[in-house]
Amino acid sequence: MEATLSPQSLGKPGIASDLRALWAVVRREWTIFTRYPSWIIALFIWPLIFPMMYILTARALSGIDGSGLQVFLQNTGAQDYIGYIIVGTTVWMWQNIVLWDVGFALRNEQMRGTLESNWLSPTWRFAYLLGHTGPQLVSMSLFILITAIEFGLLFGVRLHGSAGLALLVMLASIPAVYGLGFAFASIVITAKEAHTFVFLVRGLVMIFCGITFPVSLLPGWMQTIANWLPQTYMIHAMRAAAFSNASLTDLWPDLRALLLFGAFWLTLGYVLFRMMERRARQTGSIGQY
Amino acid sequence: METTNLSQPSFATQMRALFVIARKDWKVFWRYPLNAVSHVFQPIIWVTPVYFMGKAFSTNGQALGFAQYSGTGDYMSYVLLGTALSNFILTVFWGMGFALKEDMDAGVLESNWLTPVSRLQILVGRTLTSLLTTTITSLIMLVMATFLFGFRPTGNVVAAVLTAIPMLVGLYGFGFAFGALVLLMREANTMVDVSSFLVQGFSGANFPVKSLPYWLIPISLMLPLTYGFDAVRGWLLKTNTLLPLNVEVAILVVFMFVMLWFGSWIFHRVERKVRRLGTLGQH
Repeated sequence: MEATLSPQSLGKPGIASDLRALWAVVRREWTIFTRYPSWIIALFIWPLIFPMMYILTARALSGIDGSGLQVFLQNTGAQDYIGYIIVGTTVWMWQNIVLWDVGFALRNEQMRGTLESNWLSPTWRFAYLLGHTGPQLVSMSLFILITAIEFGLLFGVRLHGSAGLALLVMLASIPAVYGLGFAFASIVITAKEAHTFVFLVRGLVMIFCGITFPVSLLPGWMQTIANWLPQTYMIHAMRAAAFSNASLTDLWPDLRALLLFGAFWLTLGYVLFRMMERRARQTGSIGQY
Repeated sequence: METTNLSQPSFATQMRALFVIARKDWKVFWRYPLNAVSHVFQPIIWVTPVYFMGKAFSTNGQALGFAQYSGTGDYMSYVLLGTALSNFILTVFWGMGFALKEDMDAGVLESNWLTPVSRLQILVGRTLTSLLTTTITSLIMLVMATFLFGFRPTGNVVAAVLTAIPMLVGLYGFGFAFGALVLLMREANTMVDVSSFLVQGFSGANFPVKSLPYWLIPISLMLPLTYGFDAVRGWLLKTNTLLPLNVEVAILVVFMFVMLWFGSWIFHRVERKVRRLGTLGQH
């Protein structure tokens, strides 16, 4: 009797091979991340110096006698201007880093000339994008933790609210932040002018979302735009959770908005990826940059 | 008959090389038109949070607290001027350190290194286009800022420009030393971002250095750029300066010579080391 062997072909992917591909991308990204010692600077220095520049400007605006600071605290309802600024700038940095890391995931491969060959392998292509998210989430969690420790130790910033609720706000923000990164990655690889797109998106966050000021200070039309950006809700909810006695009920409108934005951006991110994938096959332009 | 040899460079061949590098960068710059537009809007975007934050600190549109340190309540003109000067600082940092990294990644650094052109000249050449585009975009930015935020310089423009020149030339020395660091470390983005951010911050791009915590003021006073920002603002906005204006200008001139010498010395030493190690093409 002749034994029939079913050949295990890499061209017939299953869930296990998809997960293996995903794990391979995660491992590769982690290796690249730890290969350059500048990640230490990125993790320890950036959390401190980016907010510092706004904090020092705020210090100058406060005046020698602190009269400006009293006006700021009245306008914002904040108890601590440093904590107020740190929350806004950290949310901005989070989105900015995701745009550069996840948003550039495919573009970097395109520039290195490896995208086309990876595309030809019989693997789940979304894994290339998703695989970037794992190491990114780990490094970003460390980044936020280090921010809290550094400002706590050096500037005496203390949590007046609930750490649990602050963590909940962060978790609720993840789909929106990374969904935007996925959508972005596909747009960038088609449009090529990647830097400009990062500047545009992070610029919107910087102008409209109130990273260093209350959104109520913006003119009406700018407030309308701010209401369509998830980072506005992230910043508002995070400030309320970390520096006031807000309860889950108080935070719910922001959390609901974040989850809705998350669902929207994740779906759009996946749809755009599939569109880009199809277009790349039709036009053969995946290797061009 | 005398033959012209490319390996015997003359002044004319050096100038041609500079021109060729600048022309190549000019072509690349305009190849990405959206990028060019973003050069104008980027600085405006960065100062917008400061504008609204300043409003949160102001009473009836006047930042009285800020005036106690700087001598002017017009914090936006103060910040905008700092931003325009920072654009030039960034140009030198990006133009040299980042250009080296770009060439490493593209795999052309080693072949460029083999051409009979001075390496410092290659570095300088990489900044020419960006200096021109920075000048254009900074002027457009200031015009736009006049309408958006109210930029109101009232002082001596010529004196301010003449003061800025030695500062910018001195920055080239900074750029050479920094380029050397990139050759050694082979990673530019984080270093460029962090160092230019720190240098700008501590030299008072956005605020008077007198408002810094007392333990940071000595760092700030050791940076020659502090006197550059201070003097240019002193001329244009008539703010209180740290030292008399002529002393600040003298510091900038000395800085220019010292940094040019020091930067090129460091660069030559590191470049020789990298060539010996054979790591020039690695990234």
